[in-house]
Amino acid sequence: MTDARTTPASATGAGPSGSIYDIGYRRYEGPRLGRRHAARSLFSHSFRSTFGIGRGGRAKIAPIILGFLALLPAIAIVGALTLAVQFGAASRFTAQAPFRYDTYFGTISTVVVLFCAAQAPELFGRDQRHGVLALYFARALRRSDYAFARIGGFVAALLVLQLAPQLLLFLGRVLLSPDIPGAVAEDLPSLPPVLAQGLLSSALLGGLSMAVSAFTPRRAYATAGIIALFTIPNIVAGVIAGLGASLIGTWLILLSPTSVLDGTNAFLFNQPLGSDFFFIDLPNWAYIAAAIAGIVGSIAITVRRFARIAT
Amino acid sequence: MALISIRNLTKRYGNAVTALDGLTVDIEPGIVGLVGSNGAGKSTLLKILLGLVEPTSGEASVLDLDVRTHGTDIRQFVGYMPEHDCLPPDASATDFVSHLALISGLPRTAARERTAEVLRHVGLYEERYRAIGGYSTGMKQRVKLAQALVHDPRLLLLDEPTNGLDPAGRDEMLELVQRTGTEFGMAVIVASHLLGEIERVCDHLVAIEGGKLLRSAPLGEFIEQTGTLAVEVDEGSAALADRLTADGLTVVVDGRAVLVAISDGRPYDLVRDAVADLGLPLVRIEQRRHRLEDLFRDLPGEPTLPAEASAAEAAAAAAAGAPTQSSGQP
Repeated sequence: MTDARTTPASATGAGPSGSIYDIGYRRYEGPRLGRRHAARSLFSHSFRSTFGIGRGGRAKIAPIILGFLALLPAIAIVGALTLAVQFGAASRFTAQAPFRYDTYFGTISTVVVLFCAAQAPELFGRDQRHGVLALYFARALRRSDYAFARIGGFVAALLVLQLAPQLLLFLGRVLLSPDIPGAVAEDLPSLPPVLAQGLLSSALLGGLSMAVSAFTPRRAYATAGIIALFTIPNIVAGVIAGLGASLIGTWLILLSPTSVLDGTNAFLFNQPLGSDFFFIDLPNWAYIAAAIAGIVGSIAITVRRFARIAT
Repeated sequence: MALISIRNLTKRYGNAVTALDGLTVDIEPGIVGLVGSNGAGKSTLLKILLGLVEPTSGEASVLDLDVRTHGTDIRQFVGYMPEHDCLPPDASATDFVSHLALISGLPRTAARERTAEVLRHVGLYEERYRAIGGYSTGMKQRVKLAQALVHDPRLLLLDEPTNGLDPAGRDEMLELVQRTGTEFGMAVIVASHLLGEIERVCDHLVAIEGGKLLRSAPLGEFIEQTGTLAVEVDEGSAALADRLTADGLTVVVDGRAVLVAISDGRPYDLVRDAVADLGLPLVRIEQRRHRLEDLFRDLPGEPTLPAEASAAEAAAAAAAGAPTQSSGQP
């Protein structure tokens, strides 16, 4: 038995004669990497599953379509920029480009919300619906590890969804520029706000979607719940704010996750909010605080849910 | 130190339900049957041993590790096959089992090798690349067993492994469980309410009822001490019972049958003589130990109510789905 373990070549490649031996059951004597390895594996599984990797063809349709939609503005800009460079109008085009780093998050936020609604229930809903939780909890994981790994994988997927188009935009701008080092130097200051806004929006939208989908094994309910969470507070807050710039109405806008992210975006890129916002007088820290509170709160709710769920 | 040591273990769900009630038992390596009727506390006990359910009070340790504080360490060395469905229909057996191997702490290449190994062991070949949703119940049970074995646990906990299988599937699953226990030298605990299955594969039985330990003993001892001989006569069962009681046997009258405890030696000679002397029309003599109720309720000193016993027998015949054994020797 130990021979078979230590010299697997002799057991598998049995030489020219090619005989097949019944080597029986072999014990596993190798390392057991424990909790951190288990959590890391679940994290990467969640990340891949969110994009449909390692799953059937049908599971790939939604992420491919939504991923393409998220990339579309960047592709359009880079394509147009290529043409503009051909005709020597690059500098004028760059100044007037409708999608820049500071507006990209707002441009694709609807796509990101739809991505959340479509993909977040795939992770938690599937595990609950088919009883797979019992198998995860019976392994080298704690229940909280499970929740963190799943949320983390999904948030990482959202981050890629939002940053990949920005990377494309960056590459397009730099490579099409006649002065590459200069273009890099020009765009580099945008990096910290892009990363910060990407992290905040991925964690907030991802955390909230996962919290909703943790509470139902039914996919349709979770999808409806996520869309409701991201649209209804927005509408309600907008109506209240529209009724008059009362103090309460102004602060209520912080209950709408997408509005909060508009606020953090404006703060991080140091851009004034558009005229369709009635709450410009809210302090910048309020948006950041609301985003962080939303992230921490949603993750805490999810972890608590899985600490109590019966398997 | 025992493989599993349980001291005064109690688990209450809320205030109403007591799943385990002061259970104390040591379990040694081997194939151990955990028997009890539905709701006796079997599944709860398995979940506590895995560190999945927090006991209300008492102590339990597995492989010398405390279940309260070392849950993740224990679970690296324990395989668990739940009772209910637990497989995603859209994944293939290979993908799913190797994914779970990673979650058990195995490195990636080892996870792949072990997956191929255990799927071969449980008898899944070409179909392992197809989605689990298309599998038969028997194949799904095999995948459930494979995922419990993939990280080569020292202890295997099986909760009703033959659930939902047809007779042929049951035989195959039981044979698999037995091979796993004997050939690999892996400690196995099989929880079941079907005694007929348990006694085919186990060498030790732990019986619980109402969250309490009824008995823990090697299988042979169990059968010997708890077997019941049913002597069925057309008439005169009361007279036969009196005679056998006078001969020093523990008997219970159950309609036309007289149930005789076989705990103290073999009462066959006494029964034969008594029937002959009284000239009774004997219908049959059979040994009854087909259901837990027979094991537990007809214990000497615990007379069973005739109505209850006959109802239990009728249910036993229906549940066993097989003719009762009518041989003298077990």
